[in-house]
Formats: sequence, structure tokens, C-alpha cells
Amino acid sequence: MVLPLIFIVLFYAPLPLANGEVLTPFLFLSMVVDPTRTLPIIQFFMQTDLFRVAVFPGFTYAALIAAVTIFVERKFLAKMQLRVGPLYAGKIEGIFQLIADGLKLVSKEIIVPSGADKPIFWAAPIAFVATAAAVTALIPVAPGWVVADLDVGLIAVFAVFGFFPLIALLFSWASNSKYPFIGGLRALHQLIAFEIPFILSALSVVILAGTLNLTGIAEAQQPYWYILFLPISAFVFYISSLAEVERVPFDLPEAESEIVAGWLTETSGMIYGLIQLGTYIKLYALSAIFVILFLGGWAGPQIFPQELGPPGEKTPLVQMLTLEGIYDPIDFNAGFWFTLKTFGVIMLMLLPRGISPRIRIDILLHTGWYKLIVLAFINIFIALALVYGGVLGPEGVLNSG
Amino acid sequence: MSQGSDPASKAGNSSGNKKDASQSQADSKVPDVPAPVSKPGTSVKDASKKDAEPPAFEKGIIDKVVNEFGDKVNVLYIKPLRMKIAIGPADIVAIALYLRDTLGFDHAESVAGTDYPKDNQIEVIYHLGSYGVPGLEGQIMSLTTRTSRDESTLPSLIHIFRSVEYHERETFEMLGVFFEGHPRNDRFLLPEDWADIPPLRKEFRIKGR
Amino acid sequence: MNRRLAERPESKIDDTVNMGMQVLKEYTADDDRLMTLSVGPQHPGSGHFRFTIKVDGDYIVYCDPDPGYVHRGEEKMCEYRNFIQNIPHLERPVIHDSANITYSYSLAVEELAGIEVPRRGQFIRALTSELDRQVYTLYWLAIYGIFLGHSTMFMWPTGDRELFIDLLDALTGARVTHAFNIPGGVRNDIPEGFKEKALRHIAYYEKRLKEYEDIFYNNPLFLQRTEGVGVLTREDAVKLGVTGSVLRASGVSFDVRKAEPYDIYNEIDFKAQYMRSGDCYARAYVPFLDMKESCHIMRQLLDKMPSSGEVRAKLQPNPKGPPGEAYRRVESGRGALGYYIVSDGTPRPYRVKISVGSFRNMLALPHLLVGAKLADMPSIYWALNYWPVEADR
Repeated sequence: MVLPLIFIVLFYAPLPLANGEVLTPFLFLSMVVDPTRTLPIIQFFMQTDLFRVAVFPGFTYAALIAAVTIFVERKFLAKMQLRVGPLYAGKIEGIFQLIADGLKLVSKEIIVPSGADKPIFWAAPIAFVATAAAVTALIPVAPGWVVADLDVGLIAVFAVFGFFPLIALLFSWASNSKYPFIGGLRALHQLIAFEIPFILSALSVVILAGTLNLTGIAEAQQPYWYILFLPISAFVFYISSLAEVERVPFDLPEAESEIVAGWLTETSGMIYGLIQLGTYIKLYALSAIFVILFLGGWAGPQIFPQELGPPGEKTPLVQMLTLEGIYDPIDFNAGFWFTLKTFGVIMLMLLPRGISPRIRIDILLHTGWYKLIVLAFINIFIALALVYGGVLGPEGVLNSG
Repeated sequence: MSQGSDPASKAGNSSGNKKDASQSQADSKVPDVPAPVSKPGTSVKDASKKDAEPPAFEKGIIDKVVNEFGDKVNVLYIKPLRMKIAIGPADIVAIALYLRDTLGFDHAESVAGTDYPKDNQIEVIYHLGSYGVPGLEGQIMSLTTRTSRDESTLPSLIHIFRSVEYHERETFEMLGVFFEGHPRNDRFLLPEDWADIPPLRKEFRIKGR
Repeated sequence: MNRRLAERPESKIDDTVNMGMQVLKEYTADDDRLMTLSVGPQHPGSGHFRFTIKVDGDYIVYCDPDPGYVHRGEEKMCEYRNFIQNIPHLERPVIHDSANITYSYSLAVEELAGIEVPRRGQFIRALTSELDRQVYTLYWLAIYGIFLGHSTMFMWPTGDRELFIDLLDALTGARVTHAFNIPGGVRNDIPEGFKEKALRHIAYYEKRLKEYEDIFYNNPLFLQRTEGVGVLTREDAVKLGVTGSVLRASGVSFDVRKAEPYDIYNEIDFKAQYMRSGDCYARAYVPFLDMKESCHIMRQLLDKMPSSGEVRAKLQPNPKGPPGEAYRRVESGRGALGYYIVSDGTPRPYRVKISVGSFRNMLALPHLLVGAKLADMPSIYWALNYWPVEADR
């Protein structure tokens, strides 16, 4: 009974078109083992939207960077604190610690508090991860490699970020407990307070670039990166990102010694895992936006050669190894530099955890509403001066065109 | 100290030997530290034998107390830096006020209750110290009073020495002494479901011992 | 309303207020606006201790400490064992400052029984006391760091504590709860090479103290969170009878080692460290100064120790003394730790009362928390140098 079913699926289930042919699983599998036909499949696949969403600038890429970030953070902090960090999971320096932690979280029981609002309790962490992933959909990693290339990309980013305080509040309210309640209110205050300097510091970049499209902003930084002209904005953006992602010194919504775990108190098992994943994807997203806005996106010297391997006619095996048809030096180069810079910014965001204690809510609100807004405005004026003085902008002196 | 470090003299140093007050030795060891009061140098020998002279500074303090309260107060011992006086429950508030306002003992270091079933009494002892008066550092005045085991109530000294608040509460729950005037004679350290007699009474036996 | 709460009057001890329940006068204890939080034993910010607070928004208006979570009846247990057998269980209230809590006990028993401690034993006793003081204070500092969210300040002192635990391990055989002091001296002599090892460790440690200042005490965020927070004036400190670093941070320079020097402390040259401001910063900084001073003391002790001699008095198997009582105290990590022992002529004590610094400092907790912000709660609470297990005994 089972065998005929397998045969039907294998020979007749239609897969998407490839090179004008209708694929079935059988044909797909036979193509994969035939080197002459593998590369066109992969090339075709790479041009689909599914690849963009799920693999490259989308979820898998973000999740991989998030996973590496978690591990690197633990090792990095450990070195700062004169200890070693995870050491035993995996032969070399605890490299499998993340998998071990993931397995542990998956196998734990999820305890829903009595009286909790069940639909929201289950939906909020999923919404959290979904929102964080939605931000990564807007980020261009290389020219042309973006999931959703909107004309108002930057405003879309802020619109999606505005959803996070709501999720925090809903989840803390649904937890039906005092400490999450206090934590949720603090999260609400903190996240909303730092949205404004966040947006204002990005506004100065928009003034210089002349476009809201993220790809356009990255390309407008060809001669000089904007961090040279807008250091104050970069600083304000950096502080606001730390507050948006709730990292030390701004981790009051999760202040362990005061309110147990803040709005995350009632999370356990995979719900906690989802929220951690969402937090680190958010961290990646913010670092990526920082790189695009201030550090020139993917700009960098071309270090990838024109063609991998010897020129001329190649055997199928060599073709597969040199990724002919898939390899595009400009895209690879852009992706490489983008990843490198994003990683640098992520390390910069991990750093304050080893240096500072936690800030208090009234000092935080005072900083967010007064000082950062003032600093952001200063840089807006600098940006306006630069544009109207003819130094930058469409008719500017220092422009690639 | 000459005697202590000589191993040969260790043989005679078994416990139970009482020595005289070691004040002269104590003074000879501290040439450069100004000593308004005599300080015990090493392990303090019992100086409360009848033929030992009580130290002068402490004697002065006790004399003032005795002058003020006469017969009501009973001086139990005067040792270097330690003095103990006993008084009845009716006058304890007055003497505490006197000690605080006139003599300068401004806080109570601890309050202990001891059960003496042989006398059918419970003795509550307040160890008073002074932070403010320069000459009284290190002095501890022990103020004690007794109450009967069956009807154990005492006036509370909380309005005079604020620092006795938690100590008196602990004495209440451990010994059953009710302090009148203390706002909260309540369970403190014992578990919420404690249903036995106050544990520091002598008839309370630890199980298995 | 909130602005008025933020300005506190000079001395809050009002003899007419209902002292058992500290509530601000604007509220009744069961007001609807208040939310009751139990900062209980299962709370990362409380240790083995529970205090109930009622908050109105971010301001605390009521605080009720509720100790007793780890009450073991130490004082009652002492009456069932003889003087030497009491040492191991008396160390347990503060396991990493155990040398001080048994030091005070030994002094009291020696006074009762008339035992004389040889000089070398006194030096070793004092050395162990100083080492344990460092161990305790570093642990306290580590927890203070983590209460403020500073994880590096949690890891560094915990790691540097190993320097002293190593020394104590070489000296006594156990890392914590050494059971090394007995009435009459110490159990064993110091091993060979101890002095050089100790001087090396102390030299490295003093370099590390400079780094602590840089990363913690001069950190602007730390200063923002602790300066001016939880101010305990001098009068209040004296009235409440607090002790130890809390007292010295409020301007009273009282150290038991200076006020009534026990053993050989009158031969050691050191100063009692104090500050005048009385806020959380002072209460966090005074132990740091104490640690630096303790390094000087340790160096002097190692220098002046007599090179040979007995380390303990010869005792009968069940030492006992004539009926009498004694009250001796010692400066421990938390403050004056006193023992009141009553003996009735038998080898077992008749009554042992332990007066610990934590129990006395607990009185300042409701006094300081009422009117403070909820975010300052861990800072104020832990700055009172409160060790829950010791207060419960």
C-alpha cells in the first residue's frame, strides 16, 4: 500500500518549472546527481523569491548570524571577565553549546500560568519572532539581494519596529502576574521613548542620501561613508539600538535582581527560546541597518576574483566546484563585506554588557527624551547644512556622479 | 607576652586555672596607643574576684548610676569594659532613660533572654553600647531585669532605644516574654506553623537529644 | 505627590509612628493603589530572605522584613554540645566568614574558662580572620555587582576570592568553614612557604583592586545609581544601632578592633575607614577601603608573627569554667559580632546568644526602603551588608 503512494508522489507530483520543464521529484533527484544539470537547478532556485525569503538575505541567514552571535557573545564576555565561557559541549571550545541549549529548550515543559490569556500567551512570542524576521526582509545585503525592495524602505523598518512595544505589553499582560506586569510597563516606556531618537538620527541620513530606499542609501555612500559626516547621529542610533534590543545597560524590562525576569518571567521552554531567537535577530537587524545607514552597506574593495578556477571550457565536476553560473564576484564581494561589517557592529553592541551596570528607569527616560533628541537634532542641522552648502546631495561636490 | 610564648610554661596552663587581672601586662604591651580605659590585651582573666580592684573608669560610671538609683539597682560585676547592673521591671524604663540621656549609651547591641527554671524566672539582658561619646567606645553596659516564668511581661525599651525592636520581638517568640509597649509582639524567625512552646525555654527539648 | 516622596526629611525616626509597620502617612496599609510584591526567597534579588513591599507605581511605601527562612536554632543547639563541639555548627551561619564567627566564640569561652592563648596562636587567629574578611567582602561585592546588573563585577571578585580561599585551604585544610579556631587557639600551625605565597597573592590582589575602582567605583552609571540613594544620616545610624560598614559609611568611625582590641590588634597599626555621606555609594565604598586596609594588616601580621611557639593552649577534653558569663565581640565582615555566653560550671554552655551584624542592620531596611524607588531596592538592600543566613542563625 505504501509503495504505490511513494511512486505516485515521486513521478507525478509537480514541482515548480525549471528551464521550461515541469519537474517531478524523480527528475529533481536525478538532476541533482548529474553535475551538468545541478547548477542550472540551483541557479534557477536562487532567483526565486523563496530563496530570498528563506535562505539568503532572509530567515536562515539572519538565524545563522543570530546563532553565531549568541555563541560569540558568551565567549567574548567570558574573555572580558577572566573566564572561559562554554567549554565542554563539543571538542573545540564548546562549539556545540548552542545546539545543546536549543535541544534543552525544546525538551522543556512550557508552563502556562493559571489565569493567563492563552491565545495571546501563545501568539505573542511567535509574533515577536515574526516581526523580527519581517525587519530582516527589508534589509539589502548586496545590490539586488533584498526580499522586499520598497521605495519607502526606511519608514517600513520603523513601522515594523513600532510593533515591538505592543508585543511586550500584550505578553506581559497575558502572563497574569505582578513582576511581568511591571516589566512590561518598563519595556513599553523604554521602547517607545527610544523610537524618537532612532527615527531622528536616521532622518539625517535620509537628508544626505535623498532617498528612503535602503538600497539607494547604501549606494549613495560610494565616495564617503556617512559616519564621517554624521558621527553624532551614528552614536545616537547606536544607543537607541541598544535600548530597542534591551541589552545592558538598558535591560530594565528584564532586570533580574529587581523584577525577577521582567516581562519574560513566565516564559519557559521553547517560548523562551523563540524570544531569545527574536531578540538576537532583532540585534542583527539593527546592526545591519546601522551598517547600511552609516557604514556604506556593502561598499568595500573587490577582493573576489572574476572567476574561481581556470578560464576556458570546464569539465562538469570543475564547473560544479567553481560554482559557474552562480558565482557573481560583485554579489559575493558585497555579501562578504556586508557580513563583515555587520559582525563588527554586533560586537560593538555586545561590548557594553561587560562594562556597565544597569541603568534606572528615570535616568533612562530622561536620557531618551531629552539628551538623545537634542543630539539627533544637532546632526540634522549638520546634514542640512551640508546639503544646502552644496557639499553633498544630488548636486554636491563630493558625489560619485 | 612573656608567659604565653614559652612552651615550658604550657604544662601549668590547663583550663580552670584562674589568674589575676592582667592589667599591668596589658598596659605594658601598648606603649603608643592612648588608653583612656584599660583594654584587655589577650584573653581576659576573670577580674571579678572579690579581692580584685574593679577598674577605675567603669567604677566611676557605676557610681553615678548607684547614686541616682540607690537601692533599686544591684551591681553584679564590674570588669574591664563590661559592667552589669540588675534592676526590677518597674524601674527599667527610668534607668534606661538615665543611661541614654545622662551617661551617653545610645544604642542596644543585643537583647538576650535566659531561662532560669530553678529560680522560676526569666532574665532579659540588654547590652548597651555607645557610639557617640568618645570615652565610652568599647564599653558595654549590661542592663538586666527578671520576670517570672509564668507571667512573663516586661516594659519594652523601644521608645528609648530604637535598636531593640527586632531583638525584643525575637525574645518574645523564643521565650514567651511579652514586651508592653512594643508595637509588634509577633512571630519573627520561627516558621508560620509553629505550634510548640517557645523554643529557648528549658523544657523544650530538641528531638533526639 | 511623587516629587514630595523624593525629598526625605532629616531624621525619620518618629517615636509616635507605629514602628512595627512602616507605612508612609499618606496611605493606609490596604490602599487600592498599592501593589504588594513579595521579594521572597525565590527571587534573584533577595537571597534567602523575604521582605514584603507595597509599591505605588515605582515608589515603595511599605516594607516588612520577614527573616527566618533558614533559621536552624543555633542558640538552642549550643546548649546540647560542649564548648569544643559547638564550633562546627556555629560556623554555618556564615560559611565563608567562619573564622570570625568562631573567633568571637573562642574569645568568650576563653574568658569564661580562664584559658590563655599563646602568642603565635593569636597571630594565626588574626590572620585567618583577615583572610576570611577578604573572602566575605569580595563575595558581597560580587553580589552587589550582579544586583546592579554588572556581570563583570560579579565575575572578577568571585575569581579573585580564589586567591584567599587558596591560602585558607593551605592553612586550614578546608576552603570555607574551616573549623580552625577553637577556644585556646588554632588547631594547627601554618605550613612552610605560606608566608611567601601569601605575600605574592596580596601583591597581585592590590593591583586588582585598582582595576575594580576603574570599572566599578568610577563607572558613571554606578555613580548615578548609588550616589544620594538611600541616605542614612548619622543620628539615624546611631539610633538604629547599625554596625559595621553601614555605620562607618554614615560617619561614625567605630571598629571593634580599635575600640576594644582583642588579641594582638593593639600592636597592629591601621585605621578604621569611614565616610560621611551615608548613601549607597559610601556603603559600597567603605568595604573596599576596608579590604585595602586589611591587606596592610595582613602584611604586618605576617611580619610580626613570632617564628616559633605553640599555637594552642593545652586543654582538657571537656573544658569548663566556673559559673559566670562573658560578652566578647569581634569585627567581622558585617560588623560587630558578639557572643553572650552564660556558663553554669558544666562543660556545656547554659545559654549562648549570638549578636550578629546582619540582624542589627536589618532594622535599617524598612527605614531606607520606604520612600525609595523600586529600582533602587536591590541597591539599598544589599548595601546594608545583610547576610540572611547569619541573621536567622
